[in-house]
Amino acid sequence: MDETNKKWYSLNLNRSKKSESCGCEKSAGSCDSDKPKDGYDQIMDVSMSRRAAFTKITAGLLIGAGAVSSSCSVVGSDESKEKSAMEWEEYFKGNYKLMTDEEKDKTINRLVRSYELNTGKKINMSSKDAEENVLFGYAFNISKCQGYMDCVNACVEENNQDRTTQMQYIRIHEMEDGKGFNFEEADDNYYHEVPAKGHFYMGTQCFHCDNPPCVEVCPVKATWKEKDGIVVIDYDWCIGCRYCMAACPYDGRRFNWKTPEVPEEEVNKNQHYLGNRLRKKGVMEKCTFCIQRSREGKNPACVEACPTGSRTFGNLLDPKSNIRWILENKKVFRLKEDLGTEPKFWYYMD
Amino acid sequence: MTTKVKVISLIIVVCLFAVSCKHSDEHKYHTVTDKIEANSIVYKGETSSDIYNETIKKVEVKDGEFEFLIPERKSQIASYNCTECHSQPLEKLKEHKVGEKAAHWNIKLNHAGPETMNCTTCHGKNDFDNLQSLTNSEIDFNYSYKLCSQCHQDQFKDWKGGAHGKQLGGWAPPRVSNTCVNCHNPHSPQFEKRWPVRFNTTVEKERE
Repeated sequence: MDETNKKWYSLNLNRSKKSESCGCEKSAGSCDSDKPKDGYDQIMDVSMSRRAAFTKITAGLLIGAGAVSSSCSVVGSDESKEKSAMEWEEYFKGNYKLMTDEEKDKTINRLVRSYELNTGKKINMSSKDAEENVLFGYAFNISKCQGYMDCVNACVEENNQDRTTQMQYIRIHEMEDGKGFNFEEADDNYYHEVPAKGHFYMGTQCFHCDNPPCVEVCPVKATWKEKDGIVVIDYDWCIGCRYCMAACPYDGRRFNWKTPEVPEEEVNKNQHYLGNRLRKKGVMEKCTFCIQRSREGKNPACVEACPTGSRTFGNLLDPKSNIRWILENKKVFRLKEDLGTEPKFWYYMD
Repeated sequence: MTTKVKVISLIIVVCLFAVSCKHSDEHKYHTVTDKIEANSIVYKGETSSDIYNETIKKVEVKDGEFEFLIPERKSQIASYNCTECHSQPLEKLKEHKVGEKAAHWNIKLNHAGPETMNCTTCHGKNDFDNLQSLTNSEIDFNYSYKLCSQCHQDQFKDWKGGAHGKQLGGWAPPRVSNTCVNCHNPHSPQFEKRWPVRFNTTVEKERE
């Protein structure tokens, strides 16, 4: 496979690049013989990467099975044929990071169309890139948060999270006054009138580290940091190994143990490929600063929903932004700063 | 001999410099703060929050280096102008007959103590259409933050900067922020206690 149009990243473990020439001083062909290959050898004696081999074998099998089933089926509608054709293309698409703009558009069209075929409803999906001179950051006022959890609800609705397992990106920790940030003793699933006497509230979610350990450990490069600082996941490239979940020191990542379920009427149809589009079983997900909103100039859903103004979102590169004023004028801190992860999520007090 | 040592040490220093300061583009900065400082530029991008705030009527706040917009207030008050009912001065109103319902009977003042504040601390004794500062100068209802900031100086400072309160619509300029009374009821400014909007029953069961 040509290195330049490869659609995935290789690990290259214990495999240094092979030199172009070998002992027999031939630049091409095999060293054994000069004879051109013919017949059986032409097909079977081809040097091929393991991945390419797997692709071809699977493709062969699928083509075979598909061809048999669709050609023999008399009742197979055009729609089901279109569906299987799209599934086929989706199956072999590359890593989003390596896609050309055209390929991105194609996969988005397929996803939108397949949702339409499945439900009869239209969705709107974007692949908008990061804008120049934008680096997103977040500030959280721990003196203002009252623990109402409006942010959690807004996040679940905006980001199409699984309703049955109650997966949530945001956790609000109820902490006792005078004990510092003691997460072990804090309660993130309280149910009583808030704010409770003698307690304060602290929200955590993905901090979109500038030096993200989760990105470092991904064996297939299915997660990365975008130019505007948002750490994203390609849900179609993730293999679900959960290394990133283990690497995150902030409990920012979530895993889909089952196929996520969102009632059709509750699905947020304004989606982004790297954001709130519907996920599947066995992939990671997390807060994306509501990429489908923030790249359009909007605030993330949690910021908009907060009734106390504890949450501030903005462009760190704009010296006139609210977040910059907070960083320059309030006493701010970040969690586990000593790890060098450089979270872009600051806490402050009045 | 000494020149040789000098030359060698110079070479070492040059090498060290060349090696240690050669960062890839991704690791050009030691901290995110360095990165922010180096790349700061007043945002003039295409993305704007304007469309999300189109329906809100706004007025401008100008205070020193700060310039931003807040929602207009007067058109939101149900029966403004106040003088449409209050045609008489306050002294006269006080003489209302027994059995007559007092105006604004439903408003209970729960803001500081009665020795600090009563209705006329903020509302004009003679001019009902405007608010009134501590020194009896007029304050327009649209700029009621000027009234609040007489006492709440710290909050005022944070609000102007963006650490207190809330930006509406989006992060992108132009900045539209809620003014004090958009979040706080001026007659009872404290946020009320209430139940959280959700409880995760599944999580509770799993943790048992």
